[in-house]
Amino acid sequence: MSQEVFQQLVATTTGVLLLTAILQVWGRSLVRSIGLLAVQGAALAGLAFTVGFHAGEPQASLVALIVLVMKSVVLPAALLRSARLTGETRERPAALNPAVELIGAAGLTLIAYIVGTPLVGDNPDPARQALPVGISLVLLGFWLLLIRRSAITQLIGFLVLDNGIATVSFLASSGLPLTVELGASLDVLLVVLILGVFVVRMQRQQGHSDITELKELHD
Amino acid sequence: MNLVDAGLYGLLGSATVAIVMAIVLTGRVRNVIAGLAVLATGVAAALTGLATLLGYSGTGLAIPVALPLVGDLDALVLAPDRLGGFFMLLAGLVIAASALFGIGYAHGPAASRTGWTGFAAFALGVVLVPAAADAITFLLAWELMALGSTVLLLAEHATRQAVRAATIWYAVMTHLSFLLLLAGFGVLINAAGGTSWARMVGIAEPTASLAFALLVAGFATKAGLVPVHVWLPRAHPEAPSHASAAMSAAMVKMGIYGILLVTLRLLPNGPSWWAVVLVALGAISALYGILQASVQSDLKRLLAYSTTENVGLITTAIGVGLLLHQSGQHAAADVALIAALLLALSHAAFKTVLFLGAGAVLHATGERDLDQLGGLASRMPITALTFGVGALGAAALPVTSGFVAEWVLLQALIHADAKTDRLLAVVMPLTMGVVALTIGLGLLTFVKAAGIGFLARPRSQAASEASEVGFSMRLALLGSAGLTIGLGLIPGPLSQLLAGAVGASGIATTGLTGLELGGLGVVVLNPLALTALTLVLLAGVLVVNGIASRRHPRREVELPWGCGGERTSPRMEYNATSYSEPLARVFGGSLHTRRSVEVEHPDDAPLLVSGIEFNQETVDLVEHRVYLPAARLAERFGDFARKLQNGSIHRYVGFSFAALLLVLVLVTR
Repeated sequence: MSQEVFQQLVATTTGVLLLTAILQVWGRSLVRSIGLLAVQGAALAGLAFTVGFHAGEPQASLVALIVLVMKSVVLPAALLRSARLTGETRERPAALNPAVELIGAAGLTLIAYIVGTPLVGDNPDPARQALPVGISLVLLGFWLLLIRRSAITQLIGFLVLDNGIATVSFLASSGLPLTVELGASLDVLLVVLILGVFVVRMQRQQGHSDITELKELHD
Repeated sequence: MNLVDAGLYGLLGSATVAIVMAIVLTGRVRNVIAGLAVLATGVAAALTGLATLLGYSGTGLAIPVALPLVGDLDALVLAPDRLGGFFMLLAGLVIAASALFGIGYAHGPAASRTGWTGFAAFALGVVLVPAAADAITFLLAWELMALGSTVLLLAEHATRQAVRAATIWYAVMTHLSFLLLLAGFGVLINAAGGTSWARMVGIAEPTASLAFALLVAGFATKAGLVPVHVWLPRAHPEAPSHASAAMSAAMVKMGIYGILLVTLRLLPNGPSWWAVVLVALGAISALYGILQASVQSDLKRLLAYSTTENVGLITTAIGVGLLLHQSGQHAAADVALIAALLLALSHAAFKTVLFLGAGAVLHATGERDLDQLGGLASRMPITALTFGVGALGAAALPVTSGFVAEWVLLQALIHADAKTDRLLAVVMPLTMGVVALTIGLGLLTFVKAAGIGFLARPRSQAASEASEVGFSMRLALLGSAGLTIGLGLIPGPLSQLLAGAVGASGIATTGLTGLELGGLGVVVLNPLALTALTLVLLAGVLVVNGIASRRHPRREVELPWGCGGERTSPRMEYNATSYSEPLARVFGGSLHTRRSVEVEHPDDAPLLVSGIEFNQETVDLVEHRVYLPAARLAERFGDFARKLQNGSIHRYVGFSFAALLLVLVLVTR
């Protein structure tokens, strides 16, 4: 893979990652959010493959395949199933209006680029140059956790956060070893499956899955 | 192995036996065996202390504990010096008397496995504090003492609500004390590069002043000086009486030991403001304590406030001693320091009697409110006699130790030359005034305690049905009362021994038992001779009285207010509240007494009176002006914190998000 192609591929995949994360903040439809998550997963898999292949990692395609299956197929499917079971299609009305949410997202991306400067330094490596995208994904995932009320979108926010962490690790270490990626993915899968069950239970008990109602502290 | 080491092994062994026996045995047997083992601990400690005072010194008993925090610092060693020996003697005697009393007294939760284990651990802690030769051992023993006493205090928590509140106050103040000590010793250890007392010498200013401030604040909290006395009047009444006696007479003295340790041994020759601080703390505590004591009607609460008074006097004496040393009047200074030790020993003796006596009364009547007592002298003769001796001691009247101690203190104050030094010219007369006023108020207070409690006619059913307490309790009472009188009659030899503990000279025995303060000119006190003289004179009076009464036989005197009906009822007697009424009025400004009179009228006749109710309660000014506002402030802070924690998941995520952003920004800055 030539340096130019590598640069293009990294720019494309990280661009798609950032775009899908921003679009998550914009919309309200659950199905669309889950679709965006699948696209983001595919972009992450592409990034994993690009970086790993470029670094000459022998298991790069295997890691990319695991990421693709997990983040683009299994997890979105699990979320979709939970959403179907609860019957929710749209996010509940939020405390902030969409414009403020988007401005916040833009600000966070800006912060990510500012705080990422020392990590990037004057390293010409395109993978290094794209590192702030990972940080902004983490921050945007947090942002989703903060501004969304439905339990399913909370899960989506959590997954965006996790994608951010994965992005940073791919970009910073030029491809992850198989075992590490496998372990991390299984952890996330477990969390999502458990929370999926939890969301359905919550829906059955309360008639909604709004986490702002979960305020009682029990000791 | 010499006497001191043997004594230390003895006390460690018997305390272990006490704890094991308290756990293994049950019922009445536990009281006897565990009580005797604690008694043995006390006796071993007293003997160790006495041996140290007589000039034996131990080889240093290293404690084989591998504490990770000790590291390359000095080993943990038990090796009491003479000052420590004196306090071991004092604490050992008190513990022995309380344990003996506890054998008969402890019942219910106080006689439980926890109760006796707590008492044994507490006793071990108290006697080990003055034996420690380094800061870590000191703090370990200190905590053992604090934990043991907290457990003892909690004994009756299940049945009485007040116990829990008292324990919380006590635990908070104890921890405050420990934290201050930890900080103070930390400063010293850091400056000295070692934990043993021997290494902590020659520490320069301002480190020395910082350590002094922290340590004295910590020790004052344990000693119960104003304004950190608030736990005393709560904890002492609620603890079982043998524990109150040990806490008030022995544990509080460890605060005094600490102050002496700091000012005489670790940081000698400090600046004069240290001494002034001690005098001021002591004088305020003495006055405030005795004022509060004089208006209390709860017997044990009264005794607790009197503890604050006595500790105040002791601290004043220490301060005066340091101040006089600084102005070069070493003879008078030595006398003041001896006075401090004598006051401590005397207070230990008579406060043990008084608290044990109060315990005996509580045991026999279930009452500790003086307004419900009375007439106990004929039903509990031994208790009344010994309590009377204790009251004499507390009122500093002759033939008791209290008189000797306060006499020595006054000699130091009188013979100090205040003309040359401006500071002395201000401090000495004021101190003398405070001591005089304290002695006067003390007299009134203890006339009330003994008179209202034991004389006249019973004011309640319980008091009229009281009977004398059991053998072990009487023995403990007689023993400690004997000590009070013994110290009062034979002060000479002991004072001479004590002189070694504070490095004083010019203290000598005169005659067989008298006390001569040679450094101050010819100042001699010979109580034995005085007592003999008094007895001879008294014999003359008795003879004359006897002859007179034979000539004019006693006539029945009818009181004028009987009105032909029932002659007198107990309700006509003076009680504790009415006796202290003039005091409450004279010192109303500083006591903040709350009075309310409620008059009830029959429904159909508003001019007639069917009942009158009078209530009076004294408020602890310090508690109301300092502690409750502080507690309210803490509560407001807690409310604010509660607002942060509203249970919303979004808020918690927001907190961590904000923290993440902050860290990121800080890292890249």
